[in-house]
Amino acid sequence: MFTLTLAQMRRSLGRLTAAGIAIVIGTAFVAATLLAGEVLKRSSYDSIAASYADASLIVQATPEPGVPAYAAELETADLDTIRSVEGVQAADPVLTISAMLNVGSKSSYVPVIGVGSDPSLQPLELTGGSLPETPEEIALPADVAERLGVSLGGTVTEAVDTLTTGENGEEEWSTTNQSLVVVGLVDDPDGAFSMTGGAGLVSQDSVATRMEAGWGATFREATVMLAPGTAIETARSELQALGTPGFTVMTKDEAALASVAAVTNGQDVFTMTILAFAAVALLVAALVISNTFQVIVAQRTRTLALLRCVGASKRQLRSSVLLEASLLGLVSSAIGFATGALLVQATVLILQRFDLDVPIPQTITVTVGSVVWPLVVGTLVTVLASLVPARAATRVAPLAALRPAELEKVSTRTSRVRLVFSLLLVLGGGALMVAGLPLATDVSVELGLLAGMVGGAASFVGVLLGAVFWVPAIVSWVARLLNRSGASAQLAAANTLRNPRRTAATSTALLIGVTLVAMMSVGAATARTSLDGTLDQEYPFDFAIEGAGMTSDPGDGSSAPSVLSPTILGELSDISGVAVLAEVTTAPVSITWPDGTVSEDNELTIVDPAKAAESVNVDGLFAGLDDTTVAVDRFTASNYNLDSESTLELRGPDGTVTVGVTVTQVGTISIVASPVVGDQLDAAASVNGAWLKLTDSADASATASDIQGVVAETPVALVGQALQRAEMEDLINTFLAIIVGLLGIAVIIALIGVANTLSLSVLERRRESATLRAIGLSRRQLRATLAIEGTLIAGVGAVLGVVLGLIYGWVGSMIVLSTFADVSLTVPWRDVTLVVAIAVVAGLLASVLPARSAARTSPVEALAVE
Amino acid sequence: MDTAAHHTPSPAPETALPAVRARALTKLYGRGEGTVKALDGVDVDFAAGQFTAIMGPSGSGKSTLMHLLAGLDTASSGQAFIGGTDVTRLDDNQLTALRRDRVGFVFQSFNLLPMFTAEQNITLPLTLAGAKLDAATKDWLATLVTTLGLSERLSHRPAELSGGQQQRVAIARALIARPEVVFADEPTGNLDSRSGAEVLSFLRRSVRELGRTIIMVTHDPAAAAYADRVVLIADGRIAGDIANPTPESVLAGLDALRTFETTADTGAQVSA
Repeated sequence: MFTLTLAQMRRSLGRLTAAGIAIVIGTAFVAATLLAGEVLKRSSYDSIAASYADASLIVQATPEPGVPAYAAELETADLDTIRSVEGVQAADPVLTISAMLNVGSKSSYVPVIGVGSDPSLQPLELTGGSLPETPEEIALPADVAERLGVSLGGTVTEAVDTLTTGENGEEEWSTTNQSLVVVGLVDDPDGAFSMTGGAGLVSQDSVATRMEAGWGATFREATVMLAPGTAIETARSELQALGTPGFTVMTKDEAALASVAAVTNGQDVFTMTILAFAAVALLVAALVISNTFQVIVAQRTRTLALLRCVGASKRQLRSSVLLEASLLGLVSSAIGFATGALLVQATVLILQRFDLDVPIPQTITVTVGSVVWPLVVGTLVTVLASLVPARAATRVAPLAALRPAELEKVSTRTSRVRLVFSLLLVLGGGALMVAGLPLATDVSVELGLLAGMVGGAASFVGVLLGAVFWVPAIVSWVARLLNRSGASAQLAAANTLRNPRRTAATSTALLIGVTLVAMMSVGAATARTSLDGTLDQEYPFDFAIEGAGMTSDPGDGSSAPSVLSPTILGELSDISGVAVLAEVTTAPVSITWPDGTVSEDNELTIVDPAKAAESVNVDGLFAGLDDTTVAVDRFTASNYNLDSESTLELRGPDGTVTVGVTVTQVGTISIVASPVVGDQLDAAASVNGAWLKLTDSADASATASDIQGVVAETPVALVGQALQRAEMEDLINTFLAIIVGLLGIAVIIALIGVANTLSLSVLERRRESATLRAIGLSRRQLRATLAIEGTLIAGVGAVLGVVLGLIYGWVGSMIVLSTFADVSLTVPWRDVTLVVAIAVVAGLLASVLPARSAARTSPVEALAVE
Repeated sequence: MDTAAHHTPSPAPETALPAVRARALTKLYGRGEGTVKALDGVDVDFAAGQFTAIMGPSGSGKSTLMHLLAGLDTASSGQAFIGGTDVTRLDDNQLTALRRDRVGFVFQSFNLLPMFTAEQNITLPLTLAGAKLDAATKDWLATLVTTLGLSERLSHRPAELSGGQQQRVAIARALIARPEVVFADEPTGNLDSRSGAEVLSFLRRSVRELGRTIIMVTHDPAAAAYADRVVLIADGRIAGDIANPTPESVLAGLDALRTFETTADTGAQVSA
């Protein structure tokens, strides 16, 4: 039986290849994911190990019973204890402090570490200047210095928050500004701080001061450098005996491994998520394989019948098919693993060329898991997919060997049970999914999401189960539309319907991929527009320049509003990305509310109503603002029970004005008045801010840099929704691109499946095609028939996938976003059209090769009796 | 046509159990008004060690009879016996065993496996049974090969053999397991007259020299004349029996059948 199976495989090699390719792609995906995960783990390990520099030992506090490990801390006193041990040459705390550094209007949070008492405990490398020695000195990473616009010898201001005890005995935070000189530039060659984008250096005393000031004098770990010649184990046991309740001492490798294990938990989740996409790809591959084997078995009917006549049992035939599937699966999985490994290795080598901050290993680590899993999964999927065709092989009647012509008996029996089951799943799943909406808003988002996901998955399975019923129906409906367009179209339409099972299976494979892609696309588009809407509500300006930040310090502790001169305003308007500029003045006024209470020192925002309306992203925001009415933010309005009938009394240095109220939504600004009102209150107030609206085509970050360049010397702050929106769009787009890329693999496999089905059906219909050719169908018409068939199958699958994807995407978005945003259901027309177009073109291309081979066969050859 | 070839037939052992028997064998197709009686209560015996031909016009039920006798199809009622075994009572596994060990088939369209050599095709039933080629079987193989004149062709693939040679390989395959009976379905249908004659004489040699039992279905009177006995069948019923047939007696028998049909059609008596 073995030789027989091998011989049969060799004959069907061409047809098995397509199925094999599907498995290769799927297993390559799995292997690549596992290997990439290993690379990431190695990178994490290398990075964490790098942060310990050349330390011999790492000391941690042993947690008291009942205290979690991460809460166990060491104190400065412990450092002295450690240093007193014989053989210890140096010991430093492992501590990274986040420093808020400003240069002019540019600011940045920069992680800094202490210089350290020994160079071997120092992971950073000095590339210019010198190490900081006094608390007024700092060394920065070169790119941070560039970002802040400061060079060697320049000054940065640090905003230090200190916790002080106030007069009333309460603890409060206060901010002091400290000037630091940049004395050196550093680099992070081993990527110890790649996660945070590099780190700066301050003197060790500075670290101590900061610790006392705000953070408390505790830290998690200390690095220890032993004197040369000291035995590690001796020092280790000595150290462990010290401290209360004792120290936990590890070598650098042990400590790094322990940290990586903590990080890996998160990475494993990440790997699992990616593997979920691989599972989708393998599912689609399974469909392709099942289809392929079904056709192969159907084509071997004569041989199978003969074997039955000659004495082969059903079990032998079934085993033969399963054996074939196992061999195919094994070989394809092995090739898939090799492909995946090569891919990851090539990527790693390419990434080495780029000078990334993250340490990347040179070669991939081939773990047992990364070899075994793809092989096992790939073979298993292939064998499982061939179970149904294997059973079909046993049902071949021995009588079939005696029939002179190949009569294809297509069983159109589709079980009622299947129909009922599929309807139940669709309706039940759909109901559960929709129920997720009220669950999300009323109970919890997680529960709603769970209901939505389970319901969605169940309904999708129901749709797939029932595909054999409704896909051919839809195809025939579309085909009927084509009926008027000639013989080829009619033939194509009829052909797709002759074997509804196979048409449904092929379309289904494509359906899965397209539905997922469409769903993600729709979800992303909906998220984008909905979150846009939310951002607009909170802060409706693209950019706003606000004077008087923490950066202005006239020296007397007060903060004076900074003024934007007409020159600067002119320069700002001239920036190419700026479409509208509204000048804003803020002035302190006191307000008498309708209930009689008075608030002193409220900040009144004064802006021209027309300009204001132009510069915001939401229409009608300042509709009620005029020369006698002020616009009040709704939170303030609800606090003081204001409505459109209320009046307020405003008092400024130059006068008092009574104004009407209009309630609007301006986020962080509480009261807006027109210049007429403003002049009455405080004629001397000058422009100290601006609202800017970007042109439609402006690049948010480039414009931001331009704006910052203009106001570089002025102590103002630039805030804006534009940057946030741009960042968020980037994030969503990147996320979407990655997911679509991952799903794209499944779609590619599905398209291979379409090509496979077409070529197999061409082979089956050789006789028929030959007959048609003999009767008068031209070569061109025959090719056209196949092209239309391919397009029909692929096109219907794609369009249905898009429709399903829209439904799932909308429901999903509503569940996730409805709690904090108003969801606007969008159709990402561009993406959707692209997907359908690709599928249709692919279906067309898939038919080219089979069509050519069918057209080239001479009718006589094909009609000859074997 | 070698008419003198039908010399003394081997004596039919009347006391021994017939190799194949049918008892009230009936096969119906369709339901209700549209029911077609392919076989209508057929009773017939086939003796062992004989070459019997089942003949009849197309649609007479001859192929159906053979399918039922061989256990390839299920009867609507009645019984069919191979030796002492009632094939209508066997389940699929038992039928499989029957086909492997006790029954051989020769098909109209040869049905050789194209990727195997002639020798591998011949030993296919043994390969499927997982049986090893012992000395006795090897001898038998050698005998078959010599008798069928295939010694030069053993290592060739079917594509390299002529139609007649392929059919001979098929016959060898049918005989390798030493079955109690070989069923041949229009074995010369796809062959030219010379190859056909060769194949038929080989079939007869298998019966004469190797003591086999062969039941052949054919519509060709000349082919039927090679047999020791011809069973005529028409409209699902046995319509005649010719011992020691010649082409002329077979033709005459067929004519009688046609007249018989005309009688049935018009309902009038026509003297033969």
